Amino acid sequence: MAAVEAGTGATAPVPASGARQIWRRLRTRRAAMAGGAVVLLLALAAVGAPLLAAIEGQDTTTYHANLVDSAAGGVPLGHLGGISGSHWLGVEPGTGRDLFARLVYGARVSLGIALAATALQVVIGVALGLAAGLGTRWVDSLLSRITDVFVVMPALILAIALLAVVPGGFPRPVLLALVLGLLAWGGFAKIVRAQVLTLKSLDYVAASRLAGSSPWRTARREMLPALVAPVLTYAAVTLPTNIVSEAGLSFLGIGVVPPTPSWGQMLSSATTWYQADTSYVVIPALMVFVTVLAFTVLAEGIRTALDPRAAARLRVGTKAGSRAGAAAMDAEKESGAMGARKASDAVPGTRARTDARTDSGPDTRSDSRHQDAGGEGA
Amino acid sequence: MPHLPLVSHRTSTRIGVIVVGLALAGGTAACGPKSGGGAKAADASPHRGGTLYVLNNQAQEDFDPARLYTSGGGNVPSLVYRTLTTRNRADGAAGSKVVPDLATDTGEPSQNATVWTYHLKDGLTYEDGTPITTADIKYDIERSFAPELSGGAPYLRDWLVGAAGYQGPYKDPKGLSAIQTPDAKTIVFHLNKPEGEFPLLATQTSFAPVPKAKDTGVNYAEHPVSSGPYRVVKNENNGEHLVLVRNPHWSAATDSQRKAYPDTIDVQSGLDQAVIDQRLSAGVGKDADAVTTDTNLGPAELAKITGDKNLASRVGTGHFGYTDYIAFNPKVKPFDNIKVREAIAYAVNRTTVINAQGGSSLNEPATTFLPPQASFGYTPYDPFPAGATGNPAKAKELLKEAGYPNGLTVSLTHDVTKGDEQGPEVATAIQEALKLAGITVKLDGQEHNAFSDKVHDLKTEPGFFLAGWGADWPSGGPFLGPIFDGRQIVSGGSNFNNAQLDDPAVNNEIDAINKITDLKAAAVRWGALDKKIGEQALTVPLYHPVYKRLFGKNIRNVVISDWTGVLDISQVAVK
Repeated sequence: MAAVEAGTGATAPVPASGARQIWRRLRTRRAAMAGGAVVLLLALAAVGAPLLAAIEGQDTTTYHANLVDSAAGGVPLGHLGGISGSHWLGVEPGTGRDLFARLVYGARVSLGIALAATALQVVIGVALGLAAGLGTRWVDSLLSRITDVFVVMPALILAIALLAVVPGGFPRPVLLALVLGLLAWGGFAKIVRAQVLTLKSLDYVAASRLAGSSPWRTARREMLPALVAPVLTYAAVTLPTNIVSEAGLSFLGIGVVPPTPSWGQMLSSATTWYQADTSYVVIPALMVFVTVLAFTVLAEGIRTALDPRAAARLRVGTKAGSRAGAAAMDAEKESGAMGARKASDAVPGTRARTDARTDSGPDTRSDSRHQDAGGEGA
Repeated sequence: MPHLPLVSHRTSTRIGVIVVGLALAGGTAACGPKSGGGAKAADASPHRGGTLYVLNNQAQEDFDPARLYTSGGGNVPSLVYRTLTTRNRADGAAGSKVVPDLATDTGEPSQNATVWTYHLKDGLTYEDGTPITTADIKYDIERSFAPELSGGAPYLRDWLVGAAGYQGPYKDPKGLSAIQTPDAKTIVFHLNKPEGEFPLLATQTSFAPVPKAKDTGVNYAEHPVSSGPYRVVKNENNGEHLVLVRNPHWSAATDSQRKAYPDTIDVQSGLDQAVIDQRLSAGVGKDADAVTTDTNLGPAELAKITGDKNLASRVGTGHFGYTDYIAFNPKVKPFDNIKVREAIAYAVNRTTVINAQGGSSLNEPATTFLPPQASFGYTPYDPFPAGATGNPAKAKELLKEAGYPNGLTVSLTHDVTKGDEQGPEVATAIQEALKLAGITVKLDGQEHNAFSDKVHDLKTEPGFFLAGWGADWPSGGPFLGPIFDGRQIVSGGSNFNNAQLDDPAVNNEIDAINKITDLKAAAVRWGALDKKIGEQALTVPLYHPVYKRLFGKNIRNVVISDWTGVLDISQVAVK
């Protein structure tokens, strides 16, 4: 619901100065900023993994048989999983491989795959959503049904099946990104289509179309700018899901192949060690947790920054809600640049909806379509 | 011929569990090397009574003597089915011996070990008091040939005269002419080649009696007629839950092997391995009277137990004859070059391989293909002495001689199943060790079944892969034969002669040893043959697994033989 509402709020294309506006609003949200900082840090760690490992003086593959107690099942010698000056996060049980190096290199794999998968989902989702929203009735039903299929499909199970049949020679991280990207774009397509349906009924879009714009031009000039906000928000929500999916698939042993480290793979080998070597489990688990949390908080921040009124709506009726609402209204007033029309829109979203209904007339299809659109956000 | 059940350790454990019942190893006075927990069981003398609980992962599927694939008659099956001979219920090496069970001796060979004669003891009866006859043993063997009762070992089909095409007593009631029962207490087997180890085969449950009048075909497993100390009162979900109670007609007077202390034995399967270990270590309530016959301690559990003396005293350690190794297919380049194979043998770091598999308590380094037990003919040798951690310098030298001065890149095929003995942990350890010798190893991970299919089919067999082998009885024959006998190269998916070695000298020696009925003399020859083959670097032996299994607080009289490596249920007491 949130994403659609956010989009509905952006009934008017965000003006050029919007980016600054959003940034200003985002900056005031401390949680979002913290999330953003963590994400930035993680990205830096992932990019600089070789450097970080070099500073530590370790690599991901070298075995250290002298650092584990072979007779006791290979548990690391020393405290907290063998944490020491030369092994900052300790070593892996059994092999004695350095955990810090594996963790930062694992960040590359985990974040890289999630990022690539999300990008792919955005591209496919936006393209199909636009085509469905702007296409003929026939195109729309076909694409919408295909999207439905992809939305209800248990992506993880299908991914497991797909990963099992692809020959081993195919580069695994690329494959993972492809599988995740090709399977889980349904949400994007639905949001974009819903948004396009709403936008289509607006006067300025109608004017553009009446003036003879081709669907392609309409999509590019009128739709895409207005789609940035909801798509961005949804992408920020999807990215951590993809991180978890990668971790899950690697956890199941069908993700990246050894000796390449990934967080999911580390978690997978760590599960049996929770009693004997707790830090071995806690470290990758914490990484996944912190990353997902940071992305989620950041996504929430971006969403409210893009549409401050949404936050107010979501908290209606609570004390905190009214406070947030008031804050949002303040933010609204402050953002004079957004234009009087939008600011005066006391109940956001209704306008577009009313429009769509009026517009639909006897054509029930359009009506049901719109309900679709509303429902999809929920 | 496909000795499938014991091919991979996984499989062996699975079958073992089902059948062989590679039971929990216990530590009484276990003379098995490194046996744990001697003190506890030693001071408490065992008493009759109570209920013993067996907590297992794998179900006792197809609990029919014709269908079970057992080594030494199995653990749970051996409580219900007596056989012509059986394994000696003793700790360590003494437990590798074959002893009489239903028969008066381990068999009288004649005509160059191609004819074997057995006589039954007096006073043997089934659970209903009717006498056991040799015709019933013949009948069970015939049943094991029936296609509807699949699963048993393939040996008799290969060994009995004219038995290869036999379809079982349901389709062919005339029976097998290779087995004669001149009277109710005598049975004679006619083999098509000398088999000095026939008494070891006669421990399998296909040599148990099944009364023809009580045979219900595929349903027999639900209510089998017991000849052992316990009878089946409940068999749920194809062996998932078995309840065995005392058989009043069994008599210790005719059975010197089974102790049968508990009144009831309750075998619950389908439990997660971590759950089994957790329950046994906690030992709450009935779990204090529990053992497992199929669940080894994992590395992490071992790490936990190492610091806990109380728990450590409840770990049974055993040695089942098994070898995990690197297999080469010399038909694939560059493994046709013995120098390349030798280089890999030198480069391998057995310490990191063993650590990847749970460390030195769960594995012993291997340099011989035969397991380190006298019954197999173990003869220590190391044709490529590289120490515990490998010798990459020597490996590089050999590579240079082989024509690869700049190293080479090879592909190692392995199972992707985590923790598997042919799994990614071992493969990665080898990859890392070979890197130091200039050999770049690409990992070719295959799904479990795909891996098994690929490496056992001549058409798809890769040049360099992980393998494991355990024998159906503790002797060199079933250990070396399937792997190095040129006549056992089979097309169509069940070839275990990975090197596709067909050397007349090796084949002739195998035939010569099979004629020897003195098992000790045969063992010496197997050991010498192992050494001779080992020098060809067709395999790189990596390690021999060690079984470590927990048992409950109240468990007494833990006996672990080198035959099974696990505690023998027939010896255990809960009081």
